[in-house]
Amino acid sequence: MVGRMGLRERNNVRVGGDGADTMFFSHGFGCDQNMWHRIEPAYAKRYRTVLFDLVGSGQSDLAAYDPAKYAGLQGYADDVAELVEVYGQGKVLFVGHSVSAMIGMLADLKAPGRFAAHLMIGPSPCYINDGDYVGGFSRQDIESLLETLESNYLGWSSNMAPAIMGAPDQPELSVELTNSFCRTDPEIAKQFARATFLSDNRADLPRLQTPTLILQCDNDIIAPISVGEYLHRHIAHSTLSVIDNIGHCPHLSTPSACSSAIDSFLTQERL
Amino acid sequence: MGPAPPAPSGEALDLFDVVACGLLQTTADGTITRANVLFCKWVGYTPAELVGKRRFQELLTVGGRIFHQTHWVPLLQMQGSISEVKLELVVREGPVVPIVMNALVRLDHGVPVHEIAAFVARDRDKYERELLLSRKRLEDLVAQATRLQSDARDRADFAEQMMGIVSHDLRNPLSSIQMSAALLARSELALSQQRTIARISRSAERATRLISDLLDFTQARLGRGLAVSMVEIDLHECVADMVEELRHIHPARALNHQRRGAGACVGDADRLAQVVGNLVSNAMTYGRADEPVTVVSIIEANRFVISVHNQGAPIPPETQATLFHPMTRGSSAGSSARSVGLGLYIVSEIAKAHSGSVSVRSAAGEGTTFTVVCPR
Repeated sequence: MVGRMGLRERNNVRVGGDGADTMFFSHGFGCDQNMWHRIEPAYAKRYRTVLFDLVGSGQSDLAAYDPAKYAGLQGYADDVAELVEVYGQGKVLFVGHSVSAMIGMLADLKAPGRFAAHLMIGPSPCYINDGDYVGGFSRQDIESLLETLESNYLGWSSNMAPAIMGAPDQPELSVELTNSFCRTDPEIAKQFARATFLSDNRADLPRLQTPTLILQCDNDIIAPISVGEYLHRHIAHSTLSVIDNIGHCPHLSTPSACSSAIDSFLTQERL
Repeated sequence: MGPAPPAPSGEALDLFDVVACGLLQTTADGTITRANVLFCKWVGYTPAELVGKRRFQELLTVGGRIFHQTHWVPLLQMQGSISEVKLELVVREGPVVPIVMNALVRLDHGVPVHEIAAFVARDRDKYERELLLSRKRLEDLVAQATRLQSDARDRADFAEQMMGIVSHDLRNPLSSIQMSAALLARSELALSQQRTIARISRSAERATRLISDLLDFTQARLGRGLAVSMVEIDLHECVADMVEELRHIHPARALNHQRRGAGACVGDADRLAQVVGNLVSNAMTYGRADEPVTVVSIIEANRFVISVHNQGAPIPPETQATLFHPMTRGSSAGSSARSVGLGLYIVSEIAKAHSGSVSVRSAAGEGTTFTVVCPR
């Protein structure tokens, strides 16, 4: 296992907040921990908060990116289990966006009893349609995503991230931060896309015993409502909360609706 | 989302439609609130079919829509703008249209309006695809070359190791042959038997030298270099001893030794004797049989020199260039040539081990001279 300093550097861990219990925030495919800046501050008043970047994303240590380890979600889950072990105090609440919801679940299955709750935002156990199961995508769709990533390669790598045309409304964002939000090594981006969109964790769902909130947007191309319902049926102790939102990032587009769904779940579970 | 932005002034309205790029306005969820003439023309829909009816992301390929959700939306939300994103528009008829876009979020009375400017990028798309293809081809070639190289290295390593093992194992039976021949030579023998024994001895001697060359070659090629033990020696005596030995091996040939200068030098006496042996053997093989071979040992102020000269046809310049590479030998050598071409390579390795070098001078009329020069 990597030492504490190693973990901090590897996953660019930032600890904040104040509280007896710990809330982890794990971003999804595409961006990094800056995704959480609209909802994390509210929880920092009640919880110790831990933000981090998955290896290969954001400011994580790219030297730690081992293509074999991160070919599937288990490699990321092993990292999360280590982070929870080192940074988790009191009860551990795990907020996972998109693919990180499943990463959190796999980490839980590896260390049963360590997680008090999962707060899954736009989760999907399988993105590819399979018989009666509607994941929303075909394999060709994922190939088309890989192509899209590839044709945005030049822009991402030479400029590191889209140039800033000016964000006068958010002067608090420094250039350095802004540039890093979605910056990913093109090869890593492609592999992470494959690890994410070709994952199938449906068989693991019944093994999850931890209270789980499934935060489902009513209009999300990446996690359609049928997927949320599927998860709800297969995770024993789960609550399905559908919020009014178009898109896959409610914590950015409707942070208040997101927070109130999380809050009522936490109240319901006495957490 | 909130109300559409107020209609711009007449002048701006004109501009919106006459600019040389596609322009779109959308609400935060992507619903199109305005689309200019050019954009409508590209996608093949009328403004009425787009405005209020479609979301911008619905005009993208599925891969583009995922990218839109995982990169475009978060970046616009977090930094308020995004530029140079290349996606593909699914148009009413015909193949998808690659476009490059910039977008920014503008607040209109507190309501976010997304402004998108788009450029068709068919040529850039083609060019990029070709670049990607070439890169892929290059990566494949590099991977293939690397594989071949490593295979070749493996084979070479194996061959050299085999050679090392084989030549080492051949030494034992050979020394047993030599010992037995020496024992036999002491007993009462008929003249013809003595000749036979002498032939056995000479052949075994030659085979032993050849194996020792092979071992040296293997050691040098495996990257370890030749082992030398440097001590203070008397160069002239060392060369004289070897020349004496060589006279017995080549009784029918004239072999001279000249000494110049005096003093001690630092070197490996056995290795320097080997240099003399290999160079003389070479001179005997390629030089004229009716002319003497001359060995000169020289002590100078800062260096010492061993040179071996023979008369005969000069070595062609193109052969001179590769003379000291292993497995090279002159074309005029008969089938009875002593070695497989390791002699000069080993001479040059020994010179290197002495921080010195070997050179050759060969011309019609003046014969051939090999010269080894080393620091004292």
